[in-house]
Amino acid sequence: MILRFVLGRALGLLVVLWVLVTIVFMLGAVIPSEPARAYAGAGASPAVIAQKREELGLEKPLLTRYVDYLERLGQGDLSESVHTHQPVADDLREAFPATLELLLASIGITMLIGLAVGVVTARPRRGTGLLRGALLAGASVPVFTLGLLALFLFYYKLGWFPAGGQTAPGTIHVVGPTGFLSLDALLTGHFGVFVNVLWHLVLPATALALTPALLTARTLRSSLRHSLRQDYARTARAKGLTERQVLWRHALRNSLNAPLTISGLELGAMLAGIAVVETIFAWPGIGLYIDRAIAANDVPAICGVTLVVGVVFVVANAIVDALQLVVDPRLRQHA
Amino acid sequence: MESAALGQEPVSLGARRFRVLAAIGPMERVGIALVFLITLVALLVPLIAPHGPYETIGPAYQPPGHYGLLGTDEVGRDLFSRLLYGMRASWFSALAVVAAGALIGFAVGLLAGVRGGWVDTALMRITDAGLALPGPIIAIAVAVALGPSLVHTLIAVTVVWWPWYARIVRAEARAIVVRPHFDAARLAGAGGLRLAVRHVMPGALPAVVIAASVDLGYLILTLAGLSFLGLGAPPPAPELGAMAYQGLNALFSFPWIPLAPAVAVFVLAAAANMAGDGLRDLLEDV
Repeated sequence: MILRFVLGRALGLLVVLWVLVTIVFMLGAVIPSEPARAYAGAGASPAVIAQKREELGLEKPLLTRYVDYLERLGQGDLSESVHTHQPVADDLREAFPATLELLLASIGITMLIGLAVGVVTARPRRGTGLLRGALLAGASVPVFTLGLLALFLFYYKLGWFPAGGQTAPGTIHVVGPTGFLSLDALLTGHFGVFVNVLWHLVLPATALALTPALLTARTLRSSLRHSLRQDYARTARAKGLTERQVLWRHALRNSLNAPLTISGLELGAMLAGIAVVETIFAWPGIGLYIDRAIAANDVPAICGVTLVVGVVFVVANAIVDALQLVVDPRLRQHA
Repeated sequence: MESAALGQEPVSLGARRFRVLAAIGPMERVGIALVFLITLVALLVPLIAPHGPYETIGPAYQPPGHYGLLGTDEVGRDLFSRLLYGMRASWFSALAVVAAGALIGFAVGLLAGVRGGWVDTALMRITDAGLALPGPIIAIAVAVALGPSLVHTLIAVTVVWWPWYARIVRAEARAIVVRPHFDAARLAGAGGLRLAVRHVMPGALPAVVIAASVDLGYLILTLAGLSFLGLGAPPPAPELGAMAYQGLNALFSFPWIPLAPAVAVFVLAAAANMAGDGLRDLLEDV
């Protein structure tokens, strides 16, 4: 039963990944009116483009090219970037840790704020209308507006946080085993650098987290309100539990499903927001790479990013699915 | 629902639904009023704007009040006029994507829902695969592959947006085709297209309107984000996201240049979200 379910999900995952790979292949090979020009860069001479055509095998039939593409992919070859003149796979490997640090920090902040605001506002009290307005307004702020305001206020006006980058200029360059600057600083005993990295993380991570956090809070709030009206909540109250106990021990766990479901979707929006936030805060990750690639019309780099980010997104959503089964045993029966 | 027999509940928008207009909150009413106001202003921008969006009216970086309401930008163009044109572009772009997405969604969803069988399975597999991928990132990739232009960006976002609508329409259609009125129309000899458009589509419309109104604000934000990244009409076109990006260097010296368009996007999205919430309450709670 469980095995069949897991196999079914795994098969679905494979199909989605195959669709992703095929879409990315089409984007690189079919959509641009002259793929060779896209790969050689906008300013390339006709001779270079002709050579690139040869190199990319554009004279071959589409199916052959597709098989070639899959083969190269199997070897970890994501082609070469137009604007860095390096293999895209190397570029991404370099940029990935910084982005993952930012993303994990943002997810942490999202869950913290989402849970806190959702729980605090679940019980009816005065000012609910105002609160709804605030949550709605929060869901309407573009990521770049948050980033610009944060930069203007907390860096320029108040000077509380640094303007951008991962560390202050002049900080010693820490190289460690993991590639994650914060972890490496900690592992190699550079405690000052570790604090510095965290300090630089605050503004970009919060700017990225605020909108998804408020969405999470909104969803959690409405499911909590539903749960608190259920019979089991009334039974718990009748047993003499305090309202706090009813909420934390009984209602909360039954209310985590909806916020979890949308957290998978929020991740998609966050992944796009990363490009904006990293651009504003000069965070040396995949987002900044996307921004530069767009400016250079770098199709191979964008295709590589799409593939890698797409895989991360699809796998993360599969994990969220599995988490839902852990949180809510009722779903296991349907499975 | 009163004493309607099973399967004979009215599917269309009943007149009494509009009585709930009185029941929706002040915030939603403000939102709906704002949506109409914004659409009107957006239509009339060429008449209202004091200057053209590309016209240089004075020295660069003039503070608000000196040259025009909001001063001038880094080239000496009227910031307020460019803001108005940018809002117009944002608003109509989001509406265009919603319309195109809903149209494709209707085509796919109706085909799947009315035909059923392998057509349904195949179309819904594609739809599900589309939903399982990170939309904004795919949109960026499609826009880059097509090359920079506003139309290409709108196409790119529509490509990742329609599966939502297809899912909604298909679910509604599956529920409608088992109702007696559908059988009656089929037995009366209505063809496939007529069945889909005349007898199924009206029933699926409310759900799509709800989804579209809730989507509008999110789309405005998504499109502004893409514009900020340079995916939209190429400069010097007046686009809010691109204006905020170009003003980034002036943030500490002339903060209103990047912040004014950034706030304008917020106003548009907030109005759309308020109206969307109101419309959803209106159509869902009855």
